[in-house]
Amino acid sequence: MLARCFEEAGISTTGIVFVKEHAERVKPPRMLWVPFAFGNAMGHAGDAEQQRHVLQAALDLLDRQQGPVLEEYPDGTAPEVLLQASAAGRSNGSPALDPADEVTSLRPYYERWVEKHDGRTNVGLCGVPQRRFRGVVRFLEGYITGEQQDAPDRPGDVGLPQYIRYCVDDLKAFYYEARMEQRPDVSDDQAHEWFWGDTAMGQLIVKLAAHMGESDDPETKAIPYGLAR
Amino acid sequence: MPRLELLSEVQRSMLRMFPCVEHDDSPWTPMRKPLSESRVALVTSAGLHVRGDRPFVMGGDSSYRVIPRSTKTADILQSHASIGFDHTGIYRDINVTYPVDRLQELVDRGVIGSLGENNYSFMGALRDTSEVVEQTGPEVAGKLVDEGVEVAFLTPT
Repeated sequence: MLARCFEEAGISTTGIVFVKEHAERVKPPRMLWVPFAFGNAMGHAGDAEQQRHVLQAALDLLDRQQGPVLEEYPDGTAPEVLLQASAAGRSNGSPALDPADEVTSLRPYYERWVEKHDGRTNVGLCGVPQRRFRGVVRFLEGYITGEQQDAPDRPGDVGLPQYIRYCVDDLKAFYYEARMEQRPDVSDDQAHEWFWGDTAMGQLIVKLAAHMGESDDPETKAIPYGLAR
Repeated sequence: MPRLELLSEVQRSMLRMFPCVEHDDSPWTPMRKPLSESRVALVTSAGLHVRGDRPFVMGGDSSYRVIPRSTKTADILQSHASIGFDHTGIYRDINVTYPVDRLQELVDRGVIGSLGENNYSFMGALRDTSEVVEQTGPEVAGKLVDEGVEVAFLTPT
């Protein structure tokens, strides 16, 4: 839809689409259809050569004289289906840590990851610094048990269910980035297996999602599906 | 995305049922000059924003965020509400969705003339795009024109 807005304003457009069937209906002027997993429009993370190739293929569409153009990017990639919490195997190992202690134990890995990546991290949505994430964990635990009705750090203009989503997204980013530092060769799928199958945080989020799903409030009830996927 | 027939039945059904506004043709702005002389901006529907900006919210957020080109990638966050994509790629490398480094390389090589002053970000996967089509999309188009942008490169997530 954006491509159509921009072309109507006199801007030439090109870009990437994931779902060919949608593009065929909407008819953006020029688009490259890629076979990569959702979330990876330009190809694989860290594969600059592939990203250059994808970008060039999309820019080449600007040379076409008429459209709409929907070109398939030639690649044999067949991405894995995204692992959901419900599909992860549960570890038979030692009992999970307290999630707050688990956060503390992962902190050195997370901080090393951030340092190695020049400060790049997706942690930052809920506004609580990661060094205070133990408090976020305690809030989520209290919310599940009913002992806490609200989060002390929640901005007044952000509803509680949405704020919980930001907290969970931050905790997930913290864990995944820590894991990638702890196990540099971990695949995406292995990282999901670890998070949902082996961590106390994964279990806490599943409980949180179940709790919110039982709410009568539509806004609260809309959030959990996105938490524990 | 893989072909629909390779997906699970749930995903396949969800994508087939996803509402799209259908069109018979496309608006078309031909290139006015070579890419090597054109100004390019990045527009993404990946729900990205500058750290400290208000994150996107669930439930049909048609707003947009300005990401100045000078923004360091360390200061860009993603708050996309969609549950159907894997975040691990962007945790590892922001260029999988927001290829700023790849675009800068093309400027350095003279393939692209220059980059716009700002890039723009929306929340994708909207079930109702009417506000984007009628209001925020044209608003961003006007800003791009004002900034001398001749080509927009669009990425989803």
